[in-house]
Amino acid sequence: MASATSSSAMIPPGSPIQAPAEKPGAPPINILPSKLSQVYSYVHPVLLLTLCAVRFEKLVADPVQELLRDLPWLALLQISYVMLCLPPAGSTQATETVSDGEEKKKAAQRSPSSPSMTLRPGKPGYRRKHQSGKLDLAGALAKIMPAFLSLAISSLIATPILAVLLVLFGAPLTTHNPETVLCAAHMALLSATALVYAHGVDGHIWKEVWGIARPVDAVWGSALGTGLGAWFGAIPIPLDWDRPWQAFPITILVGAYVGHALGSLVSRAPLLYGKRIQFAPVGTEEAEKKTN
Amino acid sequence: MAKSIRASVSKRNRANLRKKIAGPAVDARTERLAAKLQELASQPKPQAPVKSEMELGAGKTADQTQGDDKATATGEEMDVDTKLKSQKKPARVQKGNRKPRNSIVFQSRFKTKKGPKRNFYQRPRSASPARVEVAGSIMAILQCGWATLFANLLLPVGILFFSSGFFPYKPLLPGLATFNDVERNAASPVFDKVIFMVVDALRSLIRAGAALPFTAHASSPTVTMPRLKAMTTGSVPSFLDVILNIAESDTTSNLAYQDTWLAQLKTRGDRLVMYGDDTWLKLFPGMFDRADGTTSFFVSDFVEVDHNVTRHVPHELAQSDWSAMIMHYLGLDHIGHKSGPRSPFMASKHQEMDAVVNEIYTAMQHEAHLQSTLLVLCGDHGMNDAGNHGGSSAGETSPALLFISPKLQALGTQSESPVEPLGDMQYYQTVEQADITPTLAGLLGMPIPLNSLGVFIPEFLDMWDSETQRLQILERNAQQLLNTIRTTFSNSAFDDDSLASGCASSADSGIEGAQCAWAQVQQLRSSNIAADKEFSTIGPALMRFSRTAQDVMSSTASNYDVSRLYLGLMVTGIAVLLVSRTVFYECARSAHTGVFLAFMIIGYGCMMFASSYVEEEQQFWYWIWTGWMFYLHVRFESSQPSSSGNTQSLLARFPALATLGLAISQRIIRRWHQTGQKFAAEPDIARTFFPGHPAIFWGLLILTYVDAGRHLFESLPFAILPRASALMITALAFMFKVNFVAADSPELLVNSFISRAMEIWPYNFSLVWQARLVFGGLACYVLLAFVIRKQSGVAQTPKALFHESLNLFLMMQSRATNIPLFLAFRVQAKILSAMSLEGMEVTVTTLILQYMTFFAFGGSNAISSVDLSSAYNGIGSYNVVLVGILTFVSNWAGPIWWASMSNLLHPQQIPGVHSPAALSTFHIAATLVSVMAACTALRAHLFIWTVFSPKYLYTIAWATGNHVAINLLGSIGLSYL
Repeated sequence: MASATSSSAMIPPGSPIQAPAEKPGAPPINILPSKLSQVYSYVHPVLLLTLCAVRFEKLVADPVQELLRDLPWLALLQISYVMLCLPPAGSTQATETVSDGEEKKKAAQRSPSSPSMTLRPGKPGYRRKHQSGKLDLAGALAKIMPAFLSLAISSLIATPILAVLLVLFGAPLTTHNPETVLCAAHMALLSATALVYAHGVDGHIWKEVWGIARPVDAVWGSALGTGLGAWFGAIPIPLDWDRPWQAFPITILVGAYVGHALGSLVSRAPLLYGKRIQFAPVGTEEAEKKTN
Repeated sequence: MAKSIRASVSKRNRANLRKKIAGPAVDARTERLAAKLQELASQPKPQAPVKSEMELGAGKTADQTQGDDKATATGEEMDVDTKLKSQKKPARVQKGNRKPRNSIVFQSRFKTKKGPKRNFYQRPRSASPARVEVAGSIMAILQCGWATLFANLLLPVGILFFSSGFFPYKPLLPGLATFNDVERNAASPVFDKVIFMVVDALRSLIRAGAALPFTAHASSPTVTMPRLKAMTTGSVPSFLDVILNIAESDTTSNLAYQDTWLAQLKTRGDRLVMYGDDTWLKLFPGMFDRADGTTSFFVSDFVEVDHNVTRHVPHELAQSDWSAMIMHYLGLDHIGHKSGPRSPFMASKHQEMDAVVNEIYTAMQHEAHLQSTLLVLCGDHGMNDAGNHGGSSAGETSPALLFISPKLQALGTQSESPVEPLGDMQYYQTVEQADITPTLAGLLGMPIPLNSLGVFIPEFLDMWDSETQRLQILERNAQQLLNTIRTTFSNSAFDDDSLASGCASSADSGIEGAQCAWAQVQQLRSSNIAADKEFSTIGPALMRFSRTAQDVMSSTASNYDVSRLYLGLMVTGIAVLLVSRTVFYECARSAHTGVFLAFMIIGYGCMMFASSYVEEEQQFWYWIWTGWMFYLHVRFESSQPSSSGNTQSLLARFPALATLGLAISQRIIRRWHQTGQKFAAEPDIARTFFPGHPAIFWGLLILTYVDAGRHLFESLPFAILPRASALMITALAFMFKVNFVAADSPELLVNSFISRAMEIWPYNFSLVWQARLVFGGLACYVLLAFVIRKQSGVAQTPKALFHESLNLFLMMQSRATNIPLFLAFRVQAKILSAMSLEGMEVTVTTLILQYMTFFAFGGSNAISSVDLSSAYNGIGSYNVVLVGILTFVSNWAGPIWWASMSNLLHPQQIPGVHSPAALSTFHIAATLVSVMAACTALRAHLFIWTVFSPKYLYTIAWATGNHVAINLLGSIGLSYL
């Protein structure tokens, strides 16, 4: 907590840490303002956790089969989430809100306690866009394309990358390969779908993602939460309880799901929203834990 | 050449420029700075406001400018990178007014390899640079003030207090047991000779003939020496004996002055002979009339160690002058250590042992002088599924025990064989290992050794026909146990009158249980029982008392002095508090690293309370290192200027490569050794992959030696010809390692090109002299490093020379399969130095790496994982100090390497900014506190002697050996370089 506020409230006056932020980065992504979007954005993490909880026993019994079987459902949930709740990449938002974002950031720096007030200026834009989308089916169709595109990209590109990262972080290499790949696929769907949908393939933003320098929002928070959750998910594995669920991908995956849910919820808390995590992923994680 | 001239000219110009522009301001600032530093030095509170930090940075530049000037004047060459950086400096310092933090970053980036270290305590400029440097570096060690020093002095004190309370002292009765007159002619001896055949690590897998089989329960620690103690004295050896098992020649482990069944035989005037493991010779100096000891030196020796025993057997069986022959076979243990209990060598080894038993048994049947001989065949301990021992798994604590004699057929007991185990490795009725002593004493008609805690195995009572004799045997056993129990519980009364009353309510176990059982015996005695019924009534009562007494006395091995435990905890806690202030300010200054460090220390401390996390400690370090690597990645990613110049290195252009390289090398290191308990049997690189792929192994090994030789070569400050000595030393070290592998682990040489090369190689030196040559050469280099620091103008830093010599030394002391790890370390160190980390980041990085590499080398928190294979390099005869040092070095090779590397990685900076000593002291003190707290809180835990105590011992080694000796004293020593 203290570290998060100190890292975000104290740093701004031109420190070297903040140096990359001098460039106008993409602003944080907002959940669409319609009632349905707002409600579903809270229901979605709960749905994911329910999926995880309901299928848990099957997952323990036969991880590979179950992970494979759950993949379409997860994809469906993620697609409906991004379509319902997030603005697609390349929409008017990108050009429209850059200055907004800058303003917001500065406002947030001045009064970090009330950033929700400063969010308002961005809202009419979304509303306008959303209303126009509501009017005709074409708008909905326009969302389907990027949604499926993001699904394809995250499953085709993010999965191998995450699988490699999983191995580098300690997943077995000589055995359990299907488990690793499927776990990576789940994590990719959890983290990358929304990122791709909201940001497209903008190299600069992805560089920010790679450098963990995005401002906190629901999309980025859930992605980071997925990773951190998976990291913390490794903790129970060495215990000598000899339970079947201590096998390799299960705890990691459950951690990823829980982290995703927590991340998407916590990152929308007014205290954290819009701030850039720099240098201290663990510190932020602790802050997140305490805010809960 | 031209380039260097151009460089120096342009440099001088720039320096002049800087002097003119920044000079006056800087001078004034230096004045203020000196005053400020004086003030800072007098009260080392590093909460200096941001402004003063900025001034420090600026002041450094001023100083540096003059230093550069000097360097140019002496015509030293300067590499382009440094120059480019220094070129950018003034501008950045000016900016520093707006960005106060920049100054720190700049300081850490600014690394000059040349010129004397500058130092702000250097008030009079005329002072000799070397002296100031030394003073400065000592200040740097102690810059956090006396608090750190006191904390480090308190650590051993706390350890001593805690250990004295934790490892209990058991009162031993001196002297030998003797019969009184009544006893002497009571029970006649059944046997007059005993052949005691120990098969090291023989698990409970026996086929019984005319014999009585048992599964003997060996209590932890299941290491040879404590087990032999248990079997000969009948006592339960304390945990400290494990350490003494390693420090073999320690006189306290000597049993010459203790009462054993061997001593009893000896005082009777009998002769004893011994063949096999020379641990017996160390335990019983001068006890044996004929002996041939075998050292368990190369664990790869499956045949010779046993042949050395067996070849004496026919000869000794023909002799009739001895009354006890001890044989200790090591081969089975070696096979276990080398390739586990399911090794293909196991079956043939068991057959070999069978053949020996058969030979002896046949002799016992036919030879007249062996008519009443008892053959005891037993294992001293078992082995776990990986083939190791020392812990308390069922396989380790269930060695076989078999009494063989044609006479035993009289008992009429028939055992089925082979049998299915009843429980975990429990094939036959379980007895304690200590029970062997009173049983043997009874069967051979000797007094039971004074400190025995064994109970006569009741199956043998039928060897005596008369019930009075049987009762006599039990009576003797009970009396002897009563004596030991009286010595230990001197305040508990075992008098008749005090007992009879309170017995009904008391418990079955504990000292009250023993009192109660004894009271029952007394009651039965006082009541008049018909003589023929005495045995059937008093006998069970005596047995019950003996068993209870055994339980009570065995558990007194864990009688803690709780007040001392708390005292030790408190003293170490004070050490933590002493440094916590400095550490807090350190953490506050670099918040992110501080939070990570706090997270790590708290997590590690909590982990010490869970037995499985202690066993799997390596998982924590691998895990925390991935987290730290992630932090380094983010940190490096964001500190990179987005528009990197084209002159920058590959790493700077692709910063992702840096962490990727770190991650890949870490992943390889992680899989090098599967240690711990849970995953110990899974395949890894060192023990599974390399034996299957010797070509890859030897390729990597040679590559590592080439790399080491090249670095050593480059770090030497001479012309080409003398520098070639570095290559010679490296080649010699390589030769030594190859010869060592040929002796120690020949399986690595099978079908490899090295084995063919070795066949052609004509020369053959002794391993000892090869090692001495290499050690001597490396010692010369270290001396040289200390000499060349006095001569100014030497380009290579002596620290690098020291590190390279150390590198080769550590390679000498590492198992061959671990040596390629040094190559991985080199890669990691290169990447880390390219990342130009801040002081505190370097400290945390090397701290994690030290712990991580300890486990990567195959270490774990189990006593059995101590690697002794390189402990005798260059040593002809046993020497406690040298063997101890070499053992420590070979087990802590990774941590030592990184401790030395941390001195090279640390940015050269002014004292007062960062003190690694305080941080590492804080970490180790906090670890000690948590381990001590865990041992105190969980002292009744089932695993206290198998998990928590070994962890405590390892923590002591980490604190005294690795922290104080290597890290602190090492960096003080290196500061002279």
